[in-house]
Amino acid sequence: MFVKAIPEKCSGCMECEAVCSMAHWHVVNPMKSGIRIEKKSVTEDIPHLCTHGEDCNFECVDACKFDAMKKENGRVYVDYEKCTGCRLCEKACPIGAVWIFEKKAYKCDLCGGDPMCVKYCSQGALEIVEG
Amino acid sequence: MVVENSCYGGKILTVDLSKKEGKRQKIGDSFALKYLGGDGFGAYFLNKLVPGDADPFGKENVLVMAPGLLTGTVVPTAGKTAFFAKAPLTGGWGEGIMGGRIGFALKQAGYDALIITGMADKPSYLLINDDEVLVKSAEHLWGKSTRETTEEIKKDEGDVVIASIGPAGERKIRYATIDSDERQAGRGGLGAVMGSKNLKAIAIKGSNDIKVADPDKMMKLLDKWYKIMIESPAFNDDGKYGTGEFLEWMNAERGTFPTRNWREGVFDERKEIDPYYWAPRYTIKNKACIQCVKPCGKAFVIKGKYEGALDGVEYETLFALGSNCGNPSIEALAKANELCDLYGMDTISAGGAIGFAMDLYENGILSEKDAAGIDLRFGNGDAVVQMVEKIANRDGLGDLLAEGVKRAAEKIGKGADKYAVHVRGMEPPAYDVRGIKGMGLAFMTSPRGACHLRSGAYALELTGKFWRYEGVDRFSAEGKGQEIADMENFMAVYDTLGVCKFSRGMFLIEGFADILEAAIGKRMGEDELLTIGERINNLKHIFNIKCGWTKEDSKLPPKIRIPIPEGVSKGSFISEKEEKKMLQDYFEARGWDKKGIPKEKTLKKLEIEEFMES
Repeated sequence: MFVKAIPEKCSGCMECEAVCSMAHWHVVNPMKSGIRIEKKSVTEDIPHLCTHGEDCNFECVDACKFDAMKKENGRVYVDYEKCTGCRLCEKACPIGAVWIFEKKAYKCDLCGGDPMCVKYCSQGALEIVEG
Repeated sequence: MVVENSCYGGKILTVDLSKKEGKRQKIGDSFALKYLGGDGFGAYFLNKLVPGDADPFGKENVLVMAPGLLTGTVVPTAGKTAFFAKAPLTGGWGEGIMGGRIGFALKQAGYDALIITGMADKPSYLLINDDEVLVKSAEHLWGKSTRETTEEIKKDEGDVVIASIGPAGERKIRYATIDSDERQAGRGGLGAVMGSKNLKAIAIKGSNDIKVADPDKMMKLLDKWYKIMIESPAFNDDGKYGTGEFLEWMNAERGTFPTRNWREGVFDERKEIDPYYWAPRYTIKNKACIQCVKPCGKAFVIKGKYEGALDGVEYETLFALGSNCGNPSIEALAKANELCDLYGMDTISAGGAIGFAMDLYENGILSEKDAAGIDLRFGNGDAVVQMVEKIANRDGLGDLLAEGVKRAAEKIGKGADKYAVHVRGMEPPAYDVRGIKGMGLAFMTSPRGACHLRSGAYALELTGKFWRYEGVDRFSAEGKGQEIADMENFMAVYDTLGVCKFSRGMFLIEGFADILEAAIGKRMGEDELLTIGERINNLKHIFNIKCGWTKEDSKLPPKIRIPIPEGVSKGSFISEKEEKKMLQDYFEARGWDKKGIPKEKTLKKLEIEEFMES
């Protein structure tokens, strides 16, 4: 599965970023969120998040030299015991869905199958795609 | 240990633009719990720092920015940032609250308030990067629109959140706004205060975590309130039509939609400015304030002559640049609205000023020569667009209107003051108080001048019930003192917590008890929060007294004495007797004396004796 973003519906409220960082780290910090909203212009708010192979060939997994980018049942997540924040995954990702903050990589991990960002997106701009 | 283990940043940042230096001070629990944040911090600091006789454009005026206490948490619709200064438009208490990200960013940088003092010697912008504070040159940005300024700074500084002013702020138009994320701190001219300080923008990059006392509880509360919000009727109505949704109701069912500079209470030519007409044609998606799950904002694509207007039009603007000018064209309205946003100018005051000029023109007080060839008759949408340009550029008649209707009327003379609709210099929003008498009182008592949001009592008055109140009669002047005082205390809680007022029917006040327990580890009940709201309202009033307010200043404009000529509120007006009675009732409800000065026991009860000079 993956979360599909529909930018035309995104209102730019960024509640998804706040909720994602809360769910994972118990704090609000957009840089620690697995989804980022780019406020591109008055009419454009663009969600960025990993589609777990839908738009790529798992370049981040291949690029990681520390075995920190794990792939498991079609889901890619960061092993924080191993991540050094070297930025190789960030550079390798073709859709800009991994970022480094304070020497750790952050990306979508699908919240164990119940993505919080989808749950609290009131605009229907984020959809779960099964498969 | 409230401040440390909660959603407080924990520090106040003071930046002296004259000296180009920043100072940080920690906040303690007793201060935090007494004033909470946002509105409360603004009320405290403005009183402490700005002398009553300060020139709003002088270096002794201070600009305060403070996110609400809950801003930066996951609480839905809690994302507001408040700005404060002595207001250029009214010469008294000035505040503007908006839903851009700037306060969220400030909190992430570790601060609960930013205090800007002094004056830069040349155009500058302030860059805050956590502990780093820099005053940088903005000479290349001077003259640029709010949107261009934001884009330019992002090019140089990367992923920063920006609050900026446009040319209107630079030219000290007395109702210039501050913009962040295309949201505006609109009223009273706080953008002109920035302009007077040579401060073009504030750019913030914060990297700290925003914590809460009990994250698990907070996530449960998020779930609870999220569901309540998306299941509410407002979710659908605001989602489809935005704040203009009740325009038709205000016209047809209540007859209180001010029209043609408050001549009428019904706008017959409203068909195309009604969102039920334009939303299906021009809206492309919703645009939210930060943390809002039930957005009322709209992204817009206008076609035709005014192609390119992008920002949806709000209810108050549909009145100000629409009905108040007799303007039936949504295209011209959207263009005028967009220009106001780009120049950085309040749409309510701009529309108030243009409607006033049109009224004078039709009554022969302004001539064709005065209008420089623009046909200023009511109904000319193109003239509204042209006049917005003239005001923003301080060109001809526009230069006069840039001062607001009160000052403009004084300069014009010839009985123009009869047509000037304002309270304490502030042009009022879209509620014809002749048929909403409690709101008439609220216009008089609002600390920033005629305002719908300091009390929010329009919903209560127009439907007859809200919160503690039911059976309220909008045509009656009885019992309004206590009602408005209560509602002002209620709303100050929202401005202090940073929560959107369109959620007030959901959270009420009691809903915050659990939320505050999760956010700061301390439950606060309705009485406790309302006392804080009362404290804040008294502090704002004390600031106005310091600035020279007397009860004679709190009066309604002459037009309010003329009965509404048609519609369901036909014949209604507020008499001088009713006006005086409502104001005295309010003073009594507030614990103020007959002149409107807070009594000693009131100050003592609220623990603010130190602020009142005898």
